[in-house]
Order: sequence, then C-alpha cells, then structure tokens
Amino acid sequence: MITSSWFRRVPVVVALGILTAAGCSRRGGCSGEYCGTFVIAGTGEVTTLLPPVSDASLDRDVFDQIFLRLADLAPDGGTIGDAGFVPQLARSWEWTDPLTLVFHLDPRARWQDGPAVTAADVVFTFDAYTDTAIASGDRTALSHIASVTAPDSLTAVFRFRDRYPEMFFDAVFHMRILPAHLLANVPRGTWQTVEFGRAPVGDGPYRFVRWTQGQTLELAADSTFFLGRPHLRRVIWRFASDLNTAITQVVAGEADAVEVLITPPNIKRAQDAGHLTLYPYDGSTYTFLQFNFRANGDVSRPHPIFADPDVRRALVLATDRPSMLQSVFAGHAKIPPGPMPQQWKWLWVPELTVPPYDTAQAAQLLAGRGWRDTNGDGVRDRAGKKLSFHLVVPSSSAVRQQYALLLQEQLKAVGVEVLIDQMERAAMDERVQGGGFDAVLESWNTDPTPTASVPGIWGTGGGSNYGRYASATFDRQVAAATSAATPEAAKAAWIAAFGTLAHDAPGIMLFSVDNIAAVDSRVADVRIRPDSWWALLWTWRIPPGKLNERDRVGG
Amino acid sequence: MLPWLLRRVAAGIAIVFAVVTLTFAAVHLAPGEPFLPPEGRPVNPAAIERLKNTFGLDQPLPVQYVRYLAALAHGELGESFSRRRPVAEMIGNALPNTVLLAGTALLLDFALGITIGVFQAARVRRRSDVALTNLTLFFYSLPTFWLGLVLLLVFAQWLHWFPVGGITDPVLHDALPLGGRLLDRLRHLALPALTLGIVGAGGTARFQRAALLEALGQDYVRTARAKGLPERAVLVRHALRDALLPVISLLGLALPFLLTGAVLVETVFSWPGLGKLAADAISARDYPVVLGTTMLVSAAVVVGSLVADVITAAADPRIRLSA
Repeated sequence: MITSSWFRRVPVVVALGILTAAGCSRRGGCSGEYCGTFVIAGTGEVTTLLPPVSDASLDRDVFDQIFLRLADLAPDGGTIGDAGFVPQLARSWEWTDPLTLVFHLDPRARWQDGPAVTAADVVFTFDAYTDTAIASGDRTALSHIASVTAPDSLTAVFRFRDRYPEMFFDAVFHMRILPAHLLANVPRGTWQTVEFGRAPVGDGPYRFVRWTQGQTLELAADSTFFLGRPHLRRVIWRFASDLNTAITQVVAGEADAVEVLITPPNIKRAQDAGHLTLYPYDGSTYTFLQFNFRANGDVSRPHPIFADPDVRRALVLATDRPSMLQSVFAGHAKIPPGPMPQQWKWLWVPELTVPPYDTAQAAQLLAGRGWRDTNGDGVRDRAGKKLSFHLVVPSSSAVRQQYALLLQEQLKAVGVEVLIDQMERAAMDERVQGGGFDAVLESWNTDPTPTASVPGIWGTGGGSNYGRYASATFDRQVAAATSAATPEAAKAAWIAAFGTLAHDAPGIMLFSVDNIAAVDSRVADVRIRPDSWWALLWTWRIPPGKLNERDRVGG
Repeated sequence: MLPWLLRRVAAGIAIVFAVVTLTFAAVHLAPGEPFLPPEGRPVNPAAIERLKNTFGLDQPLPVQYVRYLAALAHGELGESFSRRRPVAEMIGNALPNTVLLAGTALLLDFALGITIGVFQAARVRRRSDVALTNLTLFFYSLPTFWLGLVLLLVFAQWLHWFPVGGITDPVLHDALPLGGRLLDRLRHLALPALTLGIVGAGGTARFQRAALLEALGQDYVRTARAKGLPERAVLVRHALRDALLPVISLLGLALPFLLTGAVLVETVFSWPGLGKLAADAISARDYPVVLGTTMLVSAAVVVGSLVADVITAAADPRIRLSA
C-alpha cells in the first residue's frame, strides 16, 4: 500500500536514486556483517580529542570509541568494589594487599599506529592526568592514588593512600590510557592546543579518520581490534546546532541516532517517523531549584528569605511536582526524592520519599514565620518586605523555562511572588557562581556514582555549591558514605545524607528525566549505558539483510 | 581617481580598526567567561586558570589588547578557545562556505529582484503590479531566520525534498562522481540560499521598480518613444540601463545584509560558514574567533562598498571619483 509517508519520500528517493545511479552503483559496495555506516546526530561540536584536557560530553562520546580504559563499567555495573567492571586493556587484576592493585595488561592490545600498549603507557597516563600543568578535571578523583609503577611491560601496579569503597572505580574510570610514544615529548603546557587533539591515535575499536570543522567527525572500525572486530564499519558524528536540529536530522533519515529526546513532542516525532526504534535507559541528569542561603550579591549576609528553613520547607510543600511533571513530560520523567538521577537506581529506595504537595501546611509555615498578606495584594509580606524572589533560568532550556512559569503560578497560590530572570547561559553561570541570585533552576549531569557530585553541589564549601548550603551533619554522612567499608554501609549513609537534605530543604528536587534514545530500526544489538551512551557501540551491528546504500557505500 | 581611492582605502582601514577595538572591548566587557565546562558539569578552577594562562587572559586587558594588535600586525589571529585550533584556519575553512551561500543568495536576490522590478514597472498600477508590490513587501519584511525555519519545516521536514542541514551528505558525498557531488551540494544549498535570496529580492525588486519608473519619465525615454522604438526596446535598451545604476550601488549595501543574515540562516541550516562560526563563538565566549570573524566581515563590507562605488562610476560617465 502506498502511504502518505511513502509519497513524501518520493523526491528523496528520486534524488538518492540519481546520486546512487551516478556513483554508488558502479562501486559494488560493501556486503556482509561488517558494513554498517552509523551517523550520530550530535549537539554542538567536538573541542579536542585529547582525553585529559576535556570534560565535554561530545568529546567523551568520541573518546569512548578511540581510547580504552584498563577496565570499564559493565552495563549494569556498580561503582563499589570491582565486581561491576569488565576487562578492557587489563586482561585481569588482583589485590595484593588492601592498598595495592595490580593490573595485567592484555598482550594483544595495540596502538593504532602499531606499537603494543604497555604498562609504561599506564604510568605515563597517570602522570599526565595528575600533572598540574595539564590541570585535568579528574586530578582530584585520582588524589587517593599514591603511585603507579610498571615492574614489567604488561604489569601496572597502583598504590593507594587509603582504603575506600570506590578504589577500583577511581583507578580505572577516570583515565583513558594514552600513547606515551606519541605524547611523551609534547610539552604538557601545550596539550590544550596540541595537534594530537585534532587527529588522535588510540587503542580502541575505532580509529580517527577526519574532523571537518563545523560538519562531521568520522571514525573507521579497527578491523584488528583485539577485543573483537566492530560490526559498524564507519561511525560519523554530524554536528547540529541544537537538540531540535539533531532530532530533525534523525527523523528525516539523515542521521541514524540521537541519544536523548527529552520532551513528549520530540518522542512523538520520533515515534511517528516510522523508521526509528526508541530505547529507554536510565538518565544521568537531575534538575532542581537551588536556594541561595546568602544575600543576593553579598555572600557575607544571610539571605533575607531563604536563610529561614521553614520558608524553604514551605516552598517545597507548595510545589505540586507531580502535576508539573505530567504537564511538561507527560510521564517521561520521575521526581527524585533527593539529588539523584535515575542512573543511581540503587538509591531509589522506599526510605526516601518526595515531600507531599500541601499548600495548607505551606501557608501555615509561612504565617508562622510572620509572612502574611497585610495589604491584600496577593503577596505575603513581613516588616514591609514582600515575599518575593528572582528565579534565574537559562534561556537555552525550554523545559526549565516551562518549569519556571509553573513554579511562578504555584507559588503565587500561597502568596509568594516569583520573578523570572531568563539569562544566556554564560552570563547566568557568571552570576550564579558569584552568588548574585536568589534562586536558580539548575540541571546536573552526574557521574555513575554520587561520590563527587553530591558533596560538590551540596557539601560545605563544595566547588559547585553556589547556594552555599552548609550542614555539618550532611557532610559527616557523605564522608561516611564515601569511606564505608561495604556497599550496604555506603547505601545507608547516602540515604541518611539525602534524608538530611530533605529536612533542610536547600532546594526543590524537580525532575530526573527518562532518557530515551532514537536509533534507526535497521540497527541490532543496541545496548546503551546510562553514563556513556555510545560506549558499547562497537558491539552494535546492522544485519546484512538490512544494509542500505549508505551502509554499502565505499566498501 | 587615485587620490580618491587612497582616501577611501585609508578610511576603510580606520573603520576596520575601530570595529576591532570596539569588538575587543565589547567581548571582554560582556558577562560570561570562556572555558566554562559543559552545562551541568563541575567547574575546574585549576583548568580554567591554566587555560587563561595558556591563552594570555591572565594579563591586564590593555596588555591583551596591545598583544592582539601586535599579533594582528603579523597576520596572526590567535587560537580558538573552544576548538583549540588557529582562528585563521577556522576562518579559512568557513569562508568558502559563506562565499558560496552569500554569492548564490546574491545572484538570486538580484536576478529575481531586477526581473520582478522591471516586470512591475512595465505594468505599473495594474493588478499584477499591485499584487507583486504586496508580495515583495511581505518577503522584504520577513525575518530571515523565520523564513528559514518555515522553509526547513515545509520542504525538509514535511516534504523531505531537501536535506535538513549541512553542506553535503556526510556519507554519500565523497563516493559520488563530480556530477553527483554537484547535485548533492546544490540540494544542500537550495534552502539556505533561497532564504537569504528571497528576502533580499523583495527589497531589490521595490528599488528596481522605483528606479525604472523614474527613468521612464525622463526626456530621453520620451524621445526614444517619439522615434517610434518598440516599448520593449525603450524599456530594456534605454530606461533599464539608466535604472540599473542605483541598483548596482545596492550591491555594496547587500553585502552587510547577506553577511549578517548568514549568521541566522547558517545557524538554522547548520551551514558551516562564517555566520555559524561567529554565533557559536559568541555563545562560547571564544574571543579570538569573534574578533576574527567580525574583522573579516567589516573588511568585506568596506571593500564591497568601495567596489560598488567604483562599478557605479565606471558604468555612469557622469560620476567622477574625485570628491
């Protein structure tokens, strides 16, 4: 039957027909198991392809294909202990004492320019990641490791300063092993701009082919990859200006995948396209309203409204999060009971609950603190000051703008005035980091573990704690969690810490999205890791019977 | 003519210098910092300090300005903060794409605009003239980014006649023979060039119509008609030749319109040209790229204006370039 979708595609088919008749058909093309060409619609553009100097999301996606770790997280692996990890460069490992971890490298591992990957590369990598001249973002996470040595070419020995649950995670997750023979002579101070970052040589399943500025980045499968030949022959990132453009490319069939859809309209577009399969997976972000505990623009004084815990609790109670979630996400998100994304599913436990929506109790709390509407203008006031605050929202996020409007409406119902300040992201960051705000809608992209981000955002003096919340109890509980001897003890300590946060209400936890990737239906064996979307791409395949002209071209 | 030319070149250099200085001040005074991590990731102060040191941002602003000018005098535009590669190389990669887009749009703009303007002037105050006047006004008043989004929605997303963005097909292009590659490029070029060209053509048509109507009222046109020349010959050989002169001067004015329009159109269509480069650089607070692209665009506008003046003078013997 001829459908309307078929009819709409006629001109494309004709154009592609002309193109292929003009060129491809004469080339025969690739056939068999190893022919796929996979185009990913990426938002933004790659910065640099030298791992220690970049933390950008797109860069990390590419690193996953080019550079290996000693071991990697299994698809459902936990970060405590070493049971949740699978070998990569290291064929095996052992603990020779509680502070010494020995990795045995796989002798088959090779750099893509020929030499073997050796323990000297591991030593070099640790030295580079911890060098102040490079100032890698992972340096702090590696500070528990006292030394890395190489007794022989296939053995790397990690000595730790202290014992804690995520020792193995720290040893393997943060560092992607670098080729010492190509980088040892490059001055560390120049690594930010070094040519290697534009044309890297790695040891992973894919090798770098080319990076066309503003357009694409292309990788080719390394057919000799020691862990198994990748099925997808070419992987191309196509750079899009924003997520909407990226999704449009995928829906139009000009790209094969996009890692997130986020909003219901985007999900519907992908469903309606007909050629895409949607893959839900645990999200790695959570979004929250953060209160500033210090006066707007003056960190030496307490905030006139938010320094009072009862007012913060009242605002939490006055927020109808289920209805907001339904209105914006139509069920494609969850309300986190603490500062947590869905990927930390071991922390989504019944002991942690979302505070109820209770405007009566909220009103009672506010009145109890002296906030009453004395002049009948609909806004509570106290000693001549209105219960009014500015909420900073990034202009780049339509979802957070919607949430800001909904929050404004809901808090108005209990006599609180919210003034929304939409700001361009760079300007917003500068203002928030300098403490020049009352409240901000933040979204945080987390690691597979809460160890770094939770104390960073909510801990006293944390580098990202722009609201300046400070609680000795919370800090103690987090310290207990990060140093617990067993996973059970760590979990209990995290639950206690999140309970303290719920009581102190330094923010309103709003949503943690269900990540949904859209992938062309001809692709099989699709598995997506929440912390690293394309990490398993080399195991995906396109069955020979489903190859299209784009898969065969150039074979 | 030479003294006039030298004066104009000197004035042009002064204008570009002023633009660079103002842009330098504006980008550094604007809120926001370069080297911020991606949204939702922790700030690494040590890395930011390291990067500031690497790129010389730890120096006082006047020192940075003098250093920038000194480098500029040696033809160096610096390194991009966000892409970690030479700005000159980035501009060199983006410029041909913008030239292709703006050049095609300019052709469309003038070919369509002049044709419509002449057609209207020949049928002045008839129904077709009134209809075209309204139509050209409509297109002229459209924001380019809005028109781009509409064309993208209709012809790329709904009808799938054209690609949704980019400059070539990332998979097939290299495997195609020359003809196929040309066709592929034209398919990608069509919507962005139409977006810029149609809006410009709306203005050009109105200008051309007015200029031709004025020429048709001149004595030499009356004489031509009195001599019994066919109306077509009067219109094309006599009046249009005169009426094209003011339109030529529009060329110089069209350049800034096209280049500023390119910022939005290139962003909408993910076209990897100067406009998108500049827009991305502004978001990332990539000062060297913002300065490099701004300087290039201002230089192009100055040169375009100069060239238009020279062409106008060459085409019109009444104009002497001596003032």
